[in-house]
Amino acid sequence: MGKILPSEDVLIRMQRDLKRALQRDPKKVRWTMVIDQGKCTGCHSCTLGCVAENKLPPGVVYRLVIEEEIGRYPAVRRRFLPRPCMHCQNPPCTKVCPVTATYINNQGVVVVDYNRCIGCRYCLVACPYSARTSDFGEWYTRNTPEAPSILVGRTKAAQGYELQPATEYGRKWPQRGTGSPIGNARKCHFCLHRLAVGMLPACVTTCTARATFFGDRNDPESLVYQLLGSPRIFVLKPELGTQPAVYYLK
Amino acid sequence: MQRTSFYFFIGLAVLGLLVGSWGMVQRLLYGLNPVAFGSYVPWGLWVAFYLLFLGLSAGAFLVTTLAYVFEMERFHRLGRLAAYTVLIVLLCEVLFITLDLGRMSRIYRFLISPSFTSLMTWMFILFNAMLIIYALKTFFLIREDLVAWSQDPQRKGRNLYRLLALGKSDYSPADRARDHKTVHGLSLISLPVGLLFYGTNGAFFAILMNRPIWNSALTPLLFIVAAVLSGGALIAFLTHVFLRDDELVTSLGKAVLYNLVILVFLEILQFFVGYLGDNPRVVAALDLIALGDYWWTFWIVHLGLGGLIPLLILIFSKNSPRAVTWACALIVLTFLAVRFNFIIPDLAVYKLEGLEHTFYHARLRTHYTPNLNEWLVSLWVVSLGLLAFLLGSRWLPVISSDHRGGMQHAH
Repeated sequence: MGKILPSEDVLIRMQRDLKRALQRDPKKVRWTMVIDQGKCTGCHSCTLGCVAENKLPPGVVYRLVIEEEIGRYPAVRRRFLPRPCMHCQNPPCTKVCPVTATYINNQGVVVVDYNRCIGCRYCLVACPYSARTSDFGEWYTRNTPEAPSILVGRTKAAQGYELQPATEYGRKWPQRGTGSPIGNARKCHFCLHRLAVGMLPACVTTCTARATFFGDRNDPESLVYQLLGSPRIFVLKPELGTQPAVYYLK
Repeated sequence: MQRTSFYFFIGLAVLGLLVGSWGMVQRLLYGLNPVAFGSYVPWGLWVAFYLLFLGLSAGAFLVTTLAYVFEMERFHRLGRLAAYTVLIVLLCEVLFITLDLGRMSRIYRFLISPSFTSLMTWMFILFNAMLIIYALKTFFLIREDLVAWSQDPQRKGRNLYRLLALGKSDYSPADRARDHKTVHGLSLISLPVGLLFYGTNGAFFAILMNRPIWNSALTPLLFIVAAVLSGGALIAFLTHVFLRDDELVTSLGKAVLYNLVILVFLEILQFFVGYLGDNPRVVAALDLIALGDYWWTFWIVHLGLGGLIPLLILIFSKNSPRAVTWACALIVLTFLAVRFNFIIPDLAVYKLEGLEHTFYHARLRTHYTPNLNEWLVSLWVVSLGLLAFLLGSRWLPVISSDHRGGMQHAH
């Protein structure tokens, strides 16, 4: 029985790794993600979890799942490639930002300072993974009809959700429509606001196939440290020398 | 320019401003929401216009090069016209790129938190250097006339001219010699600064390693040639319209012809190397230019109307100023197609295989067609530039130099 079922859910293990990482010197922590393509079922839960966690508006996505068909009938296979920001350690996006609004923080996470970003979108063009999107100020509720309702009305009810932004980067942002991040470049930030309070990124906890792993690659006891030693490990577009902090298992 | 033509173009500019103001209001109220571009094609029509005006500012660079590097004395006469044209096109250029910013109110960030690893910062620095050089040059070129006009009791707006002359009431031969020397110095500075400015704008795209066509050492060179070609064509056109100097127009026509041949040659090289290299992403980008939705902008507008026809005119009617002017006008009017085909096809190649079938949203697709809002805003900026140029040509001593009391060899 013990050989068939895992002794514990990897989430419990990663939660323990996270707790240990938070007790370490923050400057020595290097957050890393490993995605097992062999396990990913293409359910898109991570995408939805991310959209809900960060309250992403239409047209803004931090982590999507690319579905690829390989081969020709009858030898057709399907492969899924979840694609968050790669958090490159040699990122092309930070170098092109003219106002130092995007940079690598001291834990190796590429972040965007919404209050500094001028919205030139040079970083979007520079990113080789299309991992950045611009917030064009879209609304899910734009064309919602103002139908009568017993309590508050359909539009108001819907906007009640949409108006209040998420606490990205651990900050309280103004009501949506009144300033940043509309007009800014936006991207995955490894849910830094969740990490700060001891929670794993939303895409990790919502992964139904337990295909996404997260932790500190400088901690030899962590799961990601062990996974990085696998011969199945690879990164996207290694020829570009971007040194991603997001790895994949074949 | 004749009085009726002048008022016709003034009317056209005012109409353009009125019609375009609808797009401007939308842009100012709703930010980038009304535009058609998205996150996979993050730059659109306004960046194409930005590049167009960037190139048009190179007319003065060409004139200064011809005057000083090739020691062609007669080009000194174009000093005022060229310098003032640069000022106007730089104004349009900065308006386009500012309007393209998602948060344009933060443009001051270039001053307080610049990153010198970004070529956009260097573009900002070089843009301002160009603006300062050509503003000073225009000032020193027209100062003598400004002083004279401020003292002329028959002239309306004397106080304005006094203000523009910074209160100076007399202009001595010593002043003239000093201004001449200053203008000469500014012209020499403008050569390396201009070369850096146009080259940096090309390098801005060339350094992006994942871009199929842009990522080439050819790009900065292409930018310099494209800039000098379009800018030179504009100056030749304006010389015919405002100065009626046949000899200058035909001389400029020759310079435009050489640049046109070089540009087409560089483009052929780009296609030749790209197709033979057979990198799928490069081929995809080239296919989008030659066979994509906007194939006609490449084949008909750029190569036909803006390439072949001007080429034939400039070869076979090179001594006819009128024909040369038409050829140059065709090049300027069709050059937006060159810029559009430089920007969009390269962006329109998906960076990851399968991305085109993932997460459907209009902002996450590479198909891009500029919408009405983008065209209206563009119309507004171009009309503003046209109006400013026309008003300046009438109310400031910027057009003529020699026969209206300006400086001889004042470039």
